[in-house]
Amino acid sequence: MSVALAPAAPPTRTACAHCGDACPDEPLHLAAEPALPFCCTGCRAVYELLAASNLCTYYRLDAHPGQKIKDLELPGRFDYLDSEEVQEQLLAFRSPTLARLTFQIPQMHCASCIWLLENLFKLNPGIGASRVNFLRKELTVSYHPADTSLKEVVQLLAAVGYEPQITLAELGAQPHPGNRRLYYQLGVAAFAFGNVMLLALPEYFSFTAQLQSLFGRFFGGLSLLLALPVLLVSARDFYRSAGQGLRQRYINLDFPISLGLTALFVTSVFEVVTGHGPGYFDSFTGLVFFMLIGKWVQQRSYDALRFDRDFTSYFPVAVTLLGPGGQEHTISVKELRPGQRIRVRHQEIVPADAVLLRGAGQIDYSFVSGESEPVPKAAGEIIYAGGRQVGAAVELEVVREVSQGYLTQLWNNPVFQKETRPTLETYANKVGRYFVGLTLLLALGAVAYWYPRSPQMALRAFTSVLVIACPCALSLATPFALGAALRVLGRRKFYLKNSAVVETLGRADTIVFDKTGTLTEVQRTAVDFMGPALSPAQQQAVAAVARHSTHPLSQRLATALPGSLLPVAGFAETPGQGISGMVAGVLVRIGAAAFTGAAPAAKPEPAAAQARVWVSFDGLAAGCFVLLNAYREGLPEVLAALGRRYQLAVLSGDNDAERERLQQLFGPRAELRFHQSPQAKLDYIARLRQQGRTVVMVGDGLNDAGALQQAAAGIAVTDVLTNFSPACDAILEAGSLAQLPTLLAFCRAALRVVLATFVLSFCYNAVGLTLAVQGRFTPIVSAILMPVSSLSVMVFATLLVRLAARRRRL
Amino acid sequence: MTIIFLLIGISLAVALTFLGAFLWAVRSGQYEDDYTPSVRMLFDDETAAEETGQPTT
Repeated sequence: MSVALAPAAPPTRTACAHCGDACPDEPLHLAAEPALPFCCTGCRAVYELLAASNLCTYYRLDAHPGQKIKDLELPGRFDYLDSEEVQEQLLAFRSPTLARLTFQIPQMHCASCIWLLENLFKLNPGIGASRVNFLRKELTVSYHPADTSLKEVVQLLAAVGYEPQITLAELGAQPHPGNRRLYYQLGVAAFAFGNVMLLALPEYFSFTAQLQSLFGRFFGGLSLLLALPVLLVSARDFYRSAGQGLRQRYINLDFPISLGLTALFVTSVFEVVTGHGPGYFDSFTGLVFFMLIGKWVQQRSYDALRFDRDFTSYFPVAVTLLGPGGQEHTISVKELRPGQRIRVRHQEIVPADAVLLRGAGQIDYSFVSGESEPVPKAAGEIIYAGGRQVGAAVELEVVREVSQGYLTQLWNNPVFQKETRPTLETYANKVGRYFVGLTLLLALGAVAYWYPRSPQMALRAFTSVLVIACPCALSLATPFALGAALRVLGRRKFYLKNSAVVETLGRADTIVFDKTGTLTEVQRTAVDFMGPALSPAQQQAVAAVARHSTHPLSQRLATALPGSLLPVAGFAETPGQGISGMVAGVLVRIGAAAFTGAAPAAKPEPAAAQARVWVSFDGLAAGCFVLLNAYREGLPEVLAALGRRYQLAVLSGDNDAERERLQQLFGPRAELRFHQSPQAKLDYIARLRQQGRTVVMVGDGLNDAGALQQAAAGIAVTDVLTNFSPACDAILEAGSLAQLPTLLAFCRAALRVVLATFVLSFCYNAVGLTLAVQGRFTPIVSAILMPVSSLSVMVFATLLVRLAARRRRL
Repeated sequence: MTIIFLLIGISLAVALTFLGAFLWAVRSGQYEDDYTPSVRMLFDDETAAEETGQPTT
């Protein structure tokens, strides 16, 4: 009988009018719009809400823009937003008539999202205006506190599917000031460059000699006036950086730049004041302008991604505190003290290490360790902070303050103090140092040669050498080559914090991987069946029953098995035990061994790492499914390619059940370590670095945060870009993991481009120096040589990087 | 030839105006979000039509 049902037509499902997901067999409908199918009551509710306010343009701008609504509206979920001190910290501006704040809304993804979020005032008249910054995924809302409250605004956002991220890190955080300074500096430099060039023009042509004699002094003075703001405003950062380097007893590339700029400016002022000539102001302003462009190219950033997140970006703002009489009130997580009792509800995060007092704990540590399986906890057991409770509310007693927890104390480690990280020894800085020594030597040599002959020539040669010593072209090589590389990598979903990371990646010799969530894919499951093989009909029956449960194991089972539309009758879920239902007249029970009536002898040894789900049909045990975490696609090829060049290692917080499989994948030389605590991971990386290795750590969870920070470059792997990822130097979308060997090879190629560009700029410097020591480095030579060298270095670096990318098909 | 002084004065004044406009644009935050306005300008301005159909919103 079930055979007849087996070839269930490949489902041609209707898409939900709101979210675009496949609808169930009998889609829900709205009384007013019977033509529109909905997949769940949540989606229908949103449509109803928007339709009531005439906001259906939302659905016309983009196909299926909606967010799937999880219809578990928990009462009191946003109650903490009514708390005075939480508001105090969240609101950017506050007065009796107006309040303004900025939310992080990672869900926004299309034009419809922007449209709806900017039309919020139609849904809640208390909202004055809302404005989206799409690249940052931010929404700035201003509302009238008299008409509405922060809680209502957040509830409205959650109701339409755009629940903002409100975490501990947002408290007291200011909206980004943005990097406006560079724009100011660029503007001033460009303005001065253009005008000074115009004024310098008569100097360069013989037919304007009369003009020059008449207006020379005036033009010179005007140029000086125009160049002054360039020195004071635009060039300020070069001087500051050089000064910083000197204080750390370290000469960086900005030192010769500052030296050259000073020489250029002082010489020009001297020439103009004494009436010798027009000076080099056009070269000076041009140099600053070009170098600022280099900075601008380099500082390309990914606004929506955060590379500096710590546990506070993940932890909640407030928690429900239980008073002595059992009354609830909300307090800020920061005020949580040991001994206090808290209540953690479904889908809330345990904010501090605590002991479970009452309730059945099912703790999901997926963000901490990458492990998707919730861990059951019984009363009296300790629950580490960072886990998310799944299921009914539990009561906990706090054991340690938030910042002192098992996980959070990792952030007290000195690696997280940014200042202690030494200045990166880049090629540019290293070359810059030799450059300074060489040019000073040449300058003195020129003085020694010329002084006996003509003291005036000696001075001229000395200043010319210092002027040409400004390694402008050299300083442009790195930003343009690495900036172009950054964009190529960004196209391949590999986002770097800044261009210096390209250099670190290019020099790496060791790669350390985390296992769960990095090598394995949390969403995908490999299912093995132990026992006599099931018929397709039986598999479909199991899938049909499993699809009805929200338990993570059932969900994984349902996605792994072939799709099924069989109707299920009498579905029942026994928490902690299993699920059952009638499919085509057969009672299917899925769950723990005892629940399905499997023989106790078949009970697995307790150490077994895999999750097992037992199945029985009509009370007859059929066997069990073993759910294995599936390794990411293409992993063997990736590891084989990487293994040829890099030393590989694995650090896993898990047990060593998969040691053999991993050793096979990684090869015999790789070091595999299991049972690693977050601190142990950090220490392991620190030891490798002490041995002089350049280590790249690839991880994903909060427990890798220390190792990611300690490594020369930390790469966080993430399935969904806007999801939380710990502080790192680069974010790699999981789908691009297969390209990692190519991406790293490209980084090495980018470094070679930098070196090649150095050679080119040295050629220009050699020409300049030859002229300089002979005292023939005149303003016109400078005015030609400097822009030509700068521009050609920019073009050369960019083109070579593009070529390298094309050769690797990136 | 003294006209040069006037001409240069004018040209500088024009250039300074543009510099001022640029600095104002940066100050008012126009360089902070260079994507959203490109989407926003494509939205139809339908508030008027809606208000007639929806008296109180």
